[in-house]
Amino acid sequence: MSLKLDSESTAFTFKGGMLPMTVMELASADPELIRDHLAGKLSQSPAFFEHTPVVLSVEKLDEPYLALERICAVCRAHKLLPVAVRGGADPVKQSAWALGLGWFPPQEAGRGRSLESVATGEDYLPPDEPAEPTLPPDVASGGRIFRGTVRSGQQLIAPSGDLVVIGAVNAGAEVLAAGSVHVYGALRGRALAGIHGDAEAGIFCRELHAELLSVAGDYKRLEDIDRRLLGTPVQVRLDGDQLGITSLA
Amino acid sequence: MAKIIVVTSGKGGVGKTTSAAAIATGLALRGNKTVVIDFDVGLRNLDLIMGCERRVVYDLVNVIQGEAGLSQALIRDKRVDNLHILPASQTRDKEALTQEGVEKVLDTLSKDFDYILCDSPAGIEGGAQLAMYFADEAIVVTNPEISSVRDSDRILGLLASKTRRAERGEDPINEHLLITRYNPLRVDTGDMLNLEDIREILAINLIGLIPESEAVLRASNQGVPVTHDAVSDAGQAYADTVSRLIGEEVPLRFHEYQKKSLLSRMFGGGRR
Repeated sequence: MSLKLDSESTAFTFKGGMLPMTVMELASADPELIRDHLAGKLSQSPAFFEHTPVVLSVEKLDEPYLALERICAVCRAHKLLPVAVRGGADPVKQSAWALGLGWFPPQEAGRGRSLESVATGEDYLPPDEPAEPTLPPDVASGGRIFRGTVRSGQQLIAPSGDLVVIGAVNAGAEVLAAGSVHVYGALRGRALAGIHGDAEAGIFCRELHAELLSVAGDYKRLEDIDRRLLGTPVQVRLDGDQLGITSLA
Repeated sequence: MAKIIVVTSGKGGVGKTTSAAAIATGLALRGNKTVVIDFDVGLRNLDLIMGCERRVVYDLVNVIQGEAGLSQALIRDKRVDNLHILPASQTRDKEALTQEGVEKVLDTLSKDFDYILCDSPAGIEGGAQLAMYFADEAIVVTNPEISSVRDSDRILGLLASKTRRAERGEDPINEHLLITRYNPLRVDTGDMLNLEDIREILAINLIGLIPESEAVLRASNQGVPVTHDAVSDAGQAYADTVSRLIGEEVPLRFHEYQKKSLLSRMFGGGRR
């Protein structure tokens, strides 16, 4: 428990934690190409580029050597902070360490959701996932189901995949998901979908009273919501660069 | 083994101490050996509500720090035989309580009593968390007002995570909702949240509804728990609450506005 009644104060404690983290999946190793596309993204959603920590994933690249230093410089120039590199051959690992970045082994096949393709202008194709007919894909890739009331002061997060709440989310509570947020009850607190930038994510609820709604960084406050929609079932999705709320009734 | 019940709310001034005193009195009047403990160290009030402020010698902090024995600190209620009060210290602060010390006190009391009521301080900090930590049941006191409901919601989150039962993965604390200061007339006019809205937001079992009543203020100032005022609406509502707490089924009263009849207005309708 968090009561510190008798304990001596210590300099630090190590704690395991799951933090939401944006993965920047590189489809090109050309720093100039990355720079051009980042500039385009920056003008679309400036709120996203606020010294956001990112993990550079180079799993899709086949090159053993990367101009990692230049890629990092391009990112920093656009207010993205590379903190680690995922995947790549041994020279990539060595240069990541030399730059003071962490290195993660490549992700297991079949995991991970489609994020928006930042690096290429081509249509993003989701990686081939092995067919799992018995499980919905979101649950298989780390979605989360919560049964009960999410109460004021509580935060519920699905760091990958969708979050499903069978119950109400009360005022002062916060629910977040890398994918979509589904609330089978009243949504009175804050709901944030697509927290890693997935613009395809949505928020769905049975009764809308939300303090804040956000999809991929675009948000609306309770004050901005059409009063006629309050108390009704709705879906919230990103429509171009506008957050659209439509009735499900 | 005693049943440990915490009376809590998050928000201050909603009627925790009044309710703890009234429910403890009600339990004792029905023959249960009951002790009510004031956890509000530094702002002690329970002794005033129970009318025993002139008989306080030792308190909970003295017991925990080994300066007095438990039997020296326990005050026997003058009106009901089975009822004891363990007062808080007024001169110390909440840091004087330790988890081990509280556990020891509760373990000892558990052997002799049927019910232990813990009157929690307001807030969500150490003192309030300590009052709820060892509880088996919780009575969450809520006023029909939006800020009180939100604070109660926060407390319910803590009851589900920051208690011994939660940490050990045992059966969760049995949570009850007690609505106080309910005024059906002001609910009808939209000044107050109505019963159904509160129940829907907090989503826990309703154990009682206490109407806003002059009897409560009168009882507090006289130092006589309102349960003793058996003709008052609040006294009866607390008696109903105690009945439900020990497992009896009692229909809900005082939640609808009733126009006073001409007769009651003429004869003694003033006492409510």
